[in-house]
Amino acid sequence: MKATRRNFLKVTSLAGGGLMLAGAIPGMGKILTQDEESVLSSFNHFISIDLEGNVVFQLTAHEMGQGSGTGLPMIMAEELGADWSTVTIERADYDKKYEGLIRETTGGSGTISFYWDSLRNMGATVRELLKAAAANRWQVSTEGLSVSNGFVIDSGSDRKLSFGELAAEAATLEVPKEVELKSPADFNLIGKPVKNLITDKVAMGQGNYGINMDLPDMLYASIEKCPVYKGKLIKFDAAETLKVNGVIDVISVPTLESTEDEIHVQEGVAVIATSTWAAFKGRKSLKCDWDLGDNENNDNERLNAAVETAGKKWEKPVYSVGKYDELKDLEDYREIKATYINPHQAHALMEPMNATAHYNGQTCEIWVGTQNATKVVVNVAKAVDIPADKIKVHVQNSGGSFGRRYYPDTSIEAAYLSKQLKKPIKLTWTREDGIRHDYFHPYQVSHFSGLIKEDEVIGMQLKMVKTASYASGDNLWEQPYDLGHLDTFINPIDNLVHQGAWRSVQVHSSSLGKECFIDELAIELKKDPLELRNVLYSKPIEYVAFDRPTPPGEQDFGELVMDFRTDLRRRNRSVMEYISANKLWDRAKSAGKGRGFAIDDFFGRTVCAHIVEVEKDNSDWGIKITKITSVLDCGIVVNPHFGRGQVEGSIIYALSALKYGSIDLKNGKVQQSNFHNNKLLRIDEVPEIEVHFVPSEETPRGLGEPATPPLAPAVLNAIFDATGKRIRKVPVYKEDLLA
Amino acid sequence: MANYLLTINGQQTSVEADADTPLLWVIRDTLKLYGTKYGCGIAQCGACTVHIDGTPVRSCVVPISRMEGKKIITIEGLSKTGDHPVQEAWKSIDVPQCGYCQSGQIMSAVALLDRIPVPSEEDIQRAMKGNICRCGTYPRIVKAIQQAAKPQDS
Repeated sequence: MKATRRNFLKVTSLAGGGLMLAGAIPGMGKILTQDEESVLSSFNHFISIDLEGNVVFQLTAHEMGQGSGTGLPMIMAEELGADWSTVTIERADYDKKYEGLIRETTGGSGTISFYWDSLRNMGATVRELLKAAAANRWQVSTEGLSVSNGFVIDSGSDRKLSFGELAAEAATLEVPKEVELKSPADFNLIGKPVKNLITDKVAMGQGNYGINMDLPDMLYASIEKCPVYKGKLIKFDAAETLKVNGVIDVISVPTLESTEDEIHVQEGVAVIATSTWAAFKGRKSLKCDWDLGDNENNDNERLNAAVETAGKKWEKPVYSVGKYDELKDLEDYREIKATYINPHQAHALMEPMNATAHYNGQTCEIWVGTQNATKVVVNVAKAVDIPADKIKVHVQNSGGSFGRRYYPDTSIEAAYLSKQLKKPIKLTWTREDGIRHDYFHPYQVSHFSGLIKEDEVIGMQLKMVKTASYASGDNLWEQPYDLGHLDTFINPIDNLVHQGAWRSVQVHSSSLGKECFIDELAIELKKDPLELRNVLYSKPIEYVAFDRPTPPGEQDFGELVMDFRTDLRRRNRSVMEYISANKLWDRAKSAGKGRGFAIDDFFGRTVCAHIVEVEKDNSDWGIKITKITSVLDCGIVVNPHFGRGQVEGSIIYALSALKYGSIDLKNGKVQQSNFHNNKLLRIDEVPEIEVHFVPSEETPRGLGEPATPPLAPAVLNAIFDATGKRIRKVPVYKEDLLA
Repeated sequence: MANYLLTINGQQTSVEADADTPLLWVIRDTLKLYGTKYGCGIAQCGACTVHIDGTPVRSCVVPISRMEGKKIITIEGLSKTGDHPVQEAWKSIDVPQCGYCQSGQIMSAVALLDRIPVPSEEDIQRAMKGNICRCGTYPRIVKAIQQAAKPQDS
């Protein structure tokens, strides 16, 4: 297999001897200028090998539990032929000069797929350099040389040389223009359940998280935030707070402007102390007067009213093909309709939000777990009013993130406080701060209509009301089903609370309606729900002209959509064929139980199906999920242990949302505050989970999120099968089963 | 503020704190033992679990004033090199994803196995349901405890 993408690669000698390969990852849509090349060559971007043969991999992606910090070096080490036990990672610090040159966001379940080609290319390049060095040493051609476990081996004799013995010489050679990559059949490391590189430390309590930062002379901060979204501080009285032992100062935190609307920093009053506890305790006696503004009137009823109003008038569809509205009133056609509701949900990541900042008048350093260090840099620059190139981010591992740490609000606050106090500041949010002031999963109501002629579904209309403007992943054209007549309408409504990306983003909200509605259509047509999907996959995909110009040199958008759907359909079918061949749907059928199915893709990439088995029981929930069988087509699984873990984790995350997750508003205030009223799934609630990966040699497509969206619809479909109750909302309560 | 004489991980140490300061914050901010985690502050998640005289306790709700004369063990006191059988099982099963809750999980698991050397699955669920893992490593936690519970080959 030939590498087709060209990395910018530069090999140099490592200080103290050895080899260092610096590289830029292509795919940022640009050709590097000479200046940018020099930035990246000083970046020491990825690989070095010292004279002892120790391989160090520089990690720029964020490790937050998804395992990329182990998966990425595995990919590199596979092509390199390294002895895995010699591979370690170092986290790269981030600053302004890398903006636009590396993948800045760790998210979208895209880290492994994004780096796949580049890291293989880099590993293979170093391998070829080491081979060339060995060939020079032995005065042979590289033809008969192979690499394994940290050695270059001459297959003609028993000679071998270690990477450490070759590194210095390899560093002086010219980087090959093109390198051969391994065939997946020859992988030794990829596809193996290699242990997470953080595990040994975690088992000793030595995991590296932002909340553990400790700097000389550091003070601790906690912020009492205005309880209502976008409310303002009028005044505060800190007399009692200042009497608390350890409290040093109390200062207001004004509205700190950010670079974009989606980042909002709530006004508040910061208590500065000599310990976290003193700062927390000081808040309890703080008296604040707030101007709550009109958001004080926000509550569930106001949200419902806004949804209802927005659902009355639908103007231009964002996507339309065929003539649904014309046909629906004709005699031979009938319609079925259903509405599905997804509430606001909190992230509730285990490590509370935090950031540590040290502003010294000229520069500002930030220690934080972040999914996007660029956002930290540009926003901190704005908050402390110094140039962005004076800011350095030391990215820490995160105790969970799920989208939340994409937003740099805690870094902005900590930097602001450090500037005011002229000291290093560690800001820790309480659990209550984290729930009440989360960037919530948007509220979404999806009205589905299906058009039926005789015993065939021929059209579908989706009308969505949602509290977020982004729509990718929602549109019916992004689905593999082609029905001839499809319309998508979106009416956004104003935010009543802050909105943000949550594990699997809008796909989670959209999947609920789409996959339950297909099930309802199947019931209506007295078809097996999998059989109906197979029928819908078999209809020809038609070209649709989109009302958007095609930039010169780019493919027409209508054609892109056709290619997208064709590929998506192929992978949906591979999952369906796997299920059929292994009789996974058939085996889920049993007397007294219900079974439910749902399948969805995550942004057109990994396709995941869940088969859920449920039965009624006498538990608090009234339903027991007895088994979940998951089948995914995600391309090559780099590490099956992690892959299964991400699928299990995504399912458990979605089950928390299904059973408990819902944010309520009253007098503008979020009613949930901690784990007693924002419950999360516990160990005794986890069903048996069986995970299957469809064998594949295609590029990995991501596993951090794809198993989240289809879980709720599969459970709701199973509940219908078991009880005859059609529930069209999340969360599901026992009352819903009895209603 | 008062002085309290604590026995943590076998060592006696004197700390100055307000009587109502939770043990968690003395462990983290005063003693700089960062293995014990803050998760909720109201004994709901178990991230702060330590042993007090052998019993698993949520250190976020225990005031320091009640700790004199007690033997406190944190994750750092479980073993010097990470070779406690439960830690070994955690590594062997490769339990963690983000890892944040795992100190608390391990401390709860150790206490369970001290009490019931070979627990049933129900015993495990009962003992571990106070510890939340948002990443959803629960299936692996169960496996690790079962592995640690296996009678050692003699």
